[in-house]
Amino acid sequence: MKKVQREIFYVFSPFLRVFHWIMVASIIILFVTGLLITKPAGILATEPTATSMSVDLIRNIHFTVAYIFLAAFILKVYGFIINKGDRLFPHFWRGYFYAQTVDVALHYMFLRNEHASYLRNPLARSSYVLLYVLVAIEFFTGFAMYLMTEPDAFSTQLFAWVNVVLGGEMITHYVHHYVAWFIILFAIGHIYMVIRAEFMEGESEVSSMFAGTKILAHHPLDEDDVDPDELDNADRLKRWTNVGEGISKIRNVGGN
Amino acid sequence: MKHVVVDPVTRIEGHLRVEMQIDEGTGKVIDAISSGTAWRGLELVMKDRDPRDAWAYIQRICGVCTTAHALASVRAVEDAFGIKIPKNANYIRNIMAASLTVQDHLVHFYHLHALDWVSPLEALAADPVATANLQTTVLNAYKLNVTGYPGISTEAYPKDFPKSTPQYYATVQAKIKAIVDSKQLGIFAAQWWDHPDYKLLPPEVHLMAVAHYLEMLDKHRELVAPHVIFGGKNPHPHYLVGGMPCSISMDDGNAPVNTDRLAIVDRSINTGRTLINNYYIPDLLAIGSAYVKAGRVDGGGLAKKCVVAFGAYPIEEYNGTTNGGFFKKLLVRCNGVVENFGTPNVKFIEFNQEDLQSPDTISESVDHAWYEYDKQGASLHPWEGETKEHFTGPKDGTPTMWKELNAGGKYSWLKTPKWHGKLAEVGPLARYIVIYQRNKMGLLPDPTWAEQMMLQQIDMVSKLLNVQPEVWMPTMVGRVATRGLDCQLSAEISKFFFDKLITNIKSGDTAVANMEKWEPSTWPKECKGVGVYEAPRGALSHWVNIKDGKISNYQCIVPTTWNACPRDDKAGHGAFEQSMIETHVQIPDKPLEIVKVVRSFDPCMACATHFYNAKGEKIQTVTTDPYTGTHVEK
Amino acid sequence: MEKRETMWESYRRRGLSRRTFIKGCVALTSLMGLSSGMVSKVVEAAETKQLPVVIWIHGHECTGCDESFIRSAAPLASDLILNNVALEYDHLLSAGSGEPFEEHLEKTIQAYNGKYILAVEGAVATKGSGIYCMSGGHPFLETLQRAAKGAAAIIAYGTCAVSGGIQSAAPNPTGSAGIGHFIGAKDVVNVPGCPPIPEVMTGVVMHVALFGKLPPLDSQGRPKQFYGNRIHDTCYRRPFFDAGLFADSYDDAGSKAGWCLYKLGCRGPETYNSCGNIRWFQGMSYPVQSGAPCIGCANANFWNQGPFSDRLPKYGPLGDIDKIGAGLAVATTAGVAAHGVLSVYQRSRRDAEAAESDEVKGGEDK
Repeated sequence: MKKVQREIFYVFSPFLRVFHWIMVASIIILFVTGLLITKPAGILATEPTATSMSVDLIRNIHFTVAYIFLAAFILKVYGFIINKGDRLFPHFWRGYFYAQTVDVALHYMFLRNEHASYLRNPLARSSYVLLYVLVAIEFFTGFAMYLMTEPDAFSTQLFAWVNVVLGGEMITHYVHHYVAWFIILFAIGHIYMVIRAEFMEGESEVSSMFAGTKILAHHPLDEDDVDPDELDNADRLKRWTNVGEGISKIRNVGGN
Repeated sequence: MKHVVVDPVTRIEGHLRVEMQIDEGTGKVIDAISSGTAWRGLELVMKDRDPRDAWAYIQRICGVCTTAHALASVRAVEDAFGIKIPKNANYIRNIMAASLTVQDHLVHFYHLHALDWVSPLEALAADPVATANLQTTVLNAYKLNVTGYPGISTEAYPKDFPKSTPQYYATVQAKIKAIVDSKQLGIFAAQWWDHPDYKLLPPEVHLMAVAHYLEMLDKHRELVAPHVIFGGKNPHPHYLVGGMPCSISMDDGNAPVNTDRLAIVDRSINTGRTLINNYYIPDLLAIGSAYVKAGRVDGGGLAKKCVVAFGAYPIEEYNGTTNGGFFKKLLVRCNGVVENFGTPNVKFIEFNQEDLQSPDTISESVDHAWYEYDKQGASLHPWEGETKEHFTGPKDGTPTMWKELNAGGKYSWLKTPKWHGKLAEVGPLARYIVIYQRNKMGLLPDPTWAEQMMLQQIDMVSKLLNVQPEVWMPTMVGRVATRGLDCQLSAEISKFFFDKLITNIKSGDTAVANMEKWEPSTWPKECKGVGVYEAPRGALSHWVNIKDGKISNYQCIVPTTWNACPRDDKAGHGAFEQSMIETHVQIPDKPLEIVKVVRSFDPCMACATHFYNAKGEKIQTVTTDPYTGTHVEK
Repeated sequence: MEKRETMWESYRRRGLSRRTFIKGCVALTSLMGLSSGMVSKVVEAAETKQLPVVIWIHGHECTGCDESFIRSAAPLASDLILNNVALEYDHLLSAGSGEPFEEHLEKTIQAYNGKYILAVEGAVATKGSGIYCMSGGHPFLETLQRAAKGAAAIIAYGTCAVSGGIQSAAPNPTGSAGIGHFIGAKDVVNVPGCPPIPEVMTGVVMHVALFGKLPPLDSQGRPKQFYGNRIHDTCYRRPFFDAGLFADSYDDAGSKAGWCLYKLGCRGPETYNSCGNIRWFQGMSYPVQSGAPCIGCANANFWNQGPFSDRLPKYGPLGDIDKIGAGLAVATTAGVAAHGVLSVYQRSRRDAEAAESDEVKGGEDK
């Protein structure tokens, strides 16, 4: 039996990880409450004097969670500043980005048996940018509707332009609602892809979002995108390690 | 020969231009044209909309006869889907329709038409004491004490009654004087006040009428309160395909309709009856009889040739128009055509569902309208209606600076609707002529109370004027007078349907909407329907084709299109043009008689110019760029 | 040029007492939603500012805004147009017509240059140089531009004048648009609505007449005092929305009880208007109170946001986005599951091939 040497890469800061899981919870809550606000279920009906389950409560949950989500984004920003691994952008400005994207895409279309190894592959990187764009649209359209209760307020002025640009608050409402569905479709694809990467490609996608590290037996192509000293900084050792036997062979495609 | 243009004709709805050739020696109008000068293309806008929303869009054709197009529209869509509306919805719609007619006619008489008959300047010469006496005389002599709807009145005494104190008239007169002295005449500016027609009436009549003008300006709003209760607002109240949105409940304080809300409707109906009986009718008949006595019985338009009406107010709910249900339950069976009224060849033809559908009966031509048909000179039924715009500009001037329109060519945005190839006049006058003639020929068995009232009104006015209906009716004065009579009738009709509504609610029926065919899944893949309504200005009809849950074709023929249409090469002049030609003009430069006779139709131009082109053909664009010159893009 | 008289002078000339004048000012103060402490300011404004001339012109419209204007109860239409402003040009009410009337317009524009209020009702038809809306023998567009030049203030009455209205709904056959782009750099008071509430229309004129300046406007040029709130936020049925009590269909129990019309497509949550507070006919009703969901008539482009019966557009048999979205979610889940199965198959084949080649390689090594 072979011994496979594995290396630990420190990728995600705790700030990003906490943000990620807050985002997961927020999206689920925002989506469910959002659907209920658009089409309030009969079960929500209460006499006006009661306040337990009501549209008002659902709306307040929606708004509160939106604020929590927004506040959690500060964590993401902080992580972004202090940790290189929190900045895994698609390198649109580099030629290899497109070649690598084609490589990954052909593999996902079963036209190639495998693709090169990455800490985060270019297709995934692009999809996360798309997610942030979708979330930003939700953020701007959401606040544009929410704050217009008081059109004169300063905070409203920061968002009121959205309604003008889109051509009316009804359109803002449509956009907010449609994009929510796109985020859910993204989430389904995302969950599948990370599980697939974790268990089929040995990429520690899922575990890294808990632990922050990826333990890989190969050198990913984009290992320069994380800071090699980060583990030292985090009071860990950068080290080679031997892991147990019996793990199937992992070929290092991208090392060369 | 003098070419005279009046553009804009004001105190109407929309944009109208009239031109005429006047013989300066005799004051005879040799030729006249009537041109609708705006086109909004709403028929194109209707395409692909949800048929349940059609009423909201098409109601915006006109804000003066607001409700009229919404009502015709829901009737057309319900006809297409085969929806039978609940009893209450029918009563409520009829109350709204009748109260529209009451308010619309009253505003027309006082605010859109009165200043052609009376002048604030003449009023300055009036003696307030004599005016007060005149008011009493007018109430004694010209109040038509007809038998209205024999229901119970909830009103203890008339709340609005003409004031006949000299002090009141002196105050109003002082106010008019102050306005005239200030040289800021405001709405009274720039009229031909020195026209001899204003000398036809004594100064006291002018003062009384101007005082009533002001009072009615503040009162008329109360007459459409039923629209605000049942439809939420006015202008442009809300409707519902399948009934009305205003649920009725006597158990809920928040209900759209409960006793409190019905009391507001009742108050409004009573106000309408009072204002009409004590102001409108006496004023109208006092002025009208002076004109008839002066021999002014011209301006008959097409009243002597051909009048058309569709029939008004289904008493009970009905199950369709194309299947004839609508025509079987009418309160006013004026569904008919009278040709050659007042001559030995007079003819009455009943109008019913077949006439709405037969391509030979109703058709439209575009000989002189800014459209073209594939087949030149054709006349098409609205269901086959096609339109390609074809703006040709004026005869003299540029497309954006008209001097004289081309009477020999195209000159209006209105098409020319025809009844069996003939041009016709519609409106209250048409309704009264049809009822009168139908009854005279023994074709009106068991007249309803409303028909009896109409016949009684005609009889009383004939006695008052001491001339036969055949003489006074087909004239400008007759057109204005029958509008007043129609107003009086409509106030009673409001009361009638209000009583029916109360009785029905009392019996336990509070339904206002039939929602069985609300969901698009319940609709046929393809269907079409017609909705008709005797609007304040006359016979209104909407045609709708629905395909795959969307409007594929929407057509209307509205009263003012019948009346204000351009000429037809075979059939001759439309009612506006004909009435202008028949009118004698005393001073060609100040054609007050012309605008007076045109306004006697209560023109609604925005209504008239919006139909056709449901097929969505590419529109020609005329470019009049100052640098590249005028050219037409195909 | 002769000096224009103030409201006080106008009262004096018409033989009305100082007491009547003050009473008028008090009424106006409350009409404009100002506190009673403002009465003295209103009195001052009415005494010192000139009585304004109003020119009212009509483009592509239905005259519903005129009709709404003359239904105002406070101020009454007669008081407004005979005592508080000089309405020198208006197609609906003016006595004159034809050539003398058009001359009067020109004279008024010149005599009161820079001082008159221009009220515009209706959209501008721009296609074909404006030939779809002609009046007086020339396009409305020209009249608008000529009259706008010398106007002290411009009021766009109704959704047509503000943003094009019904005739600008798709496919906009006449190229109609709101007046905003055709009047130069002038300030415009936008008074949207189809039509606007009567007292909102007259209130705007009164404000200009009294204070000699435009009322405070929001970012879209609408008077804040009339368009500062959404109908949903001022609706008397809002508590039912919050409590989850809705009419599910017309004429059902919820509809009779006067519950929220949100589920029937009400546009109240998107619409800025005074329907919820001023209401129509002095508090008598508004569509929601009469059981009819709001169609959002004070919103730009609301005609293109149908069907009015649904909060989300429906796509024929496909239904709305919630139905489509749920379908897509199921399809996506099925898709990724299939992809997963294929991926497992691909990997097993790949591993098998690799093992085979290893064996071959191992054999060679030996």
